[in-house]
Amino acid sequence: MTYLFQVLNGIGLGMLYFLLAVGLSIIFGLLQFVNFAHGAFYLLGAYLTYDLVERGMSFWLAMPIAALIVAVVAGVTEALLLRRIYKLPHTFHILVTVGIALFIQELVIILWGPLGGSVAAPDGLNGVVIWGDFIYPKYRLFTIAFTAVLALVLYWALERTRLGAIVRAGSESTENMALLGYDTLRINTVVFAAGAGLAGLAGGLVSPIRGVEPFMGVEALSIAFVVVVIGGMGSYVGALVAGILVGVVQSLMATIWPEGARLMIYIGMASIIVMMPRGLFGRA
Amino acid sequence: MLLINRPLVQFGLALLTVLALPLFLRSGILASEVLIYALIAAACNLLLGYTGLLSFGQGIFFGLGSYVAGIFLTRYGVPVWMVLIMATLLGAAVATLVGWLSIRRQGVYFVMLTLAFSQLFYFLAYTFSDLTGGDNGLMDVPRPDLGAGPMNNAWSFYIFVAVSFLVLFALMLQATQSTFGRTLIAVRDNEERAAAIGFPVKAFKTAAFAISGAVTAYGGALKAMLIGVAPLANIEHHTSEMILIMTIIGGSTSLFASVIGAAAYMILADVLSQIWPRWLLLLGLALVCVALFLQKGLWGLIEKLWVMFFQKDQSLEKKEAEH
Repeated sequence: MTYLFQVLNGIGLGMLYFLLAVGLSIIFGLLQFVNFAHGAFYLLGAYLTYDLVERGMSFWLAMPIAALIVAVVAGVTEALLLRRIYKLPHTFHILVTVGIALFIQELVIILWGPLGGSVAAPDGLNGVVIWGDFIYPKYRLFTIAFTAVLALVLYWALERTRLGAIVRAGSESTENMALLGYDTLRINTVVFAAGAGLAGLAGGLVSPIRGVEPFMGVEALSIAFVVVVIGGMGSYVGALVAGILVGVVQSLMATIWPEGARLMIYIGMASIIVMMPRGLFGRA
Repeated sequence: MLLINRPLVQFGLALLTVLALPLFLRSGILASEVLIYALIAAACNLLLGYTGLLSFGQGIFFGLGSYVAGIFLTRYGVPVWMVLIMATLLGAAVATLVGWLSIRRQGVYFVMLTLAFSQLFYFLAYTFSDLTGGDNGLMDVPRPDLGAGPMNNAWSFYIFVAVSFLVLFALMLQATQSTFGRTLIAVRDNEERAAAIGFPVKAFKTAAFAISGAVTAYGGALKAMLIGVAPLANIEHHTSEMILIMTIIGGSTSLFASVIGAAAYMILADVLSQIWPRWLLLLGLALVCVALFLQKGLWGLIEKLWVMFFQKDQSLEKKEAEH
């Protein structure tokens, strides 16, 4: 029973990791751009949700609004700053996005203080469900369902819509897309904003579970990197599978060897890289 | 090659820095820190500037070095010189492993791998707290005692750091000038061609990692002795990030550039953090500005100024000759 509990926890955690990583992965696929500010967008999403809930807004409204604000902030940043540096070597992508991440993190501390806070689970989802022996927090079940639906919507958007087709084609060759007359600059902005918005949504979604604190972004960033490295850059399926894998491993290890739970993720990652350098679903 | 980039001049500048720091800085600890980070940034530059590898894992070696100092000086009473050698060797060994695994991928993938490894080692240190002290770190790391009593005065330890810095800096300069160093540059500029000519590219990259890791671990041991603590923070992702930032701010066209980068970072951090605890906000903005306007770093700026004044001199001489 404890194992079932942990596996469920792990899937919930893994779906959140997926949400975090998929934006990073798609941004990379399209723009060949590593975004070290991705964790900061997650941080911002969590804090905006926290702030709006503190002001008395319903969680159901606060979470999407927070994600939307994050998307707008990211979109503006992309349009004003990032598109100027795509042509520079990766060193400068990293420098700029690390700079943005530092800026957002310090801004969060200035605005909301260094201590962090907690967010109450929304009405109707606090408490637990009880099915016989099985007891599980309602909110966590909700996150699993919510992210699963979101994952399906995302899949549909990527595979079945025009924008999705454009994004996938753009990942193959931005130049060809530009030659075909697509406004690649605008597409880049939209995709970047959407990826960051997803990270912000993940931050909002996770806030009732783990609370908010100013350094949650750093941790999230490295987890997102691990998921992307294991799953393969630019791969939606990879992000999903690797996200759940990492989540489940972390949760199971938490009962077997609590101190080493996070260590095991990185050891697992290292071994996968050694055996499959491109990740599970990475392309050549 | 510009005069200021010639190896002898570079070493002269390093020597000048060692002599100048005590004149400008009141704190021997800060001065020692500047030199330690200068050394480590130069080691990072060996990878970034000379081999074209952006390593987000330098904190691994730095942290390991400080743990070696912490563990063997406090628990086993191993002599300092031996501890420094052990730190250096362990740094080289782990860097070989991390480097060899990371260079299986290139570009961004490589960067992410080094970042992931830095997390791996952070959690190793965090998990095995019997060995590392976990969150608390290792306390009471002594400074070396070279016969004249322990170096309680930070300035006497500064001399020890300065000598280490000059020797290792000279060795790294030598390495960049050697056939080995030139091959690294060939690998950086065109890896496929270097491989086609028949250079074992991976071995060269791994060797660069080993040297960089060895020097960085040595620096980590010095830092632990300086502060008296080997904290978990030394092996954290932030340390790697800071080393990288110093290196990029300095520029990657010469080894001394990293000394400038580290000194600028450390001294500004010291001043700004006393004025405003949230100074990292400004650092964030500064990084964006460096990427937009100062891509060759502070050293690039110095090079530009040098050329400007140098050429001005030349034109003056010409005019005088005409008269």
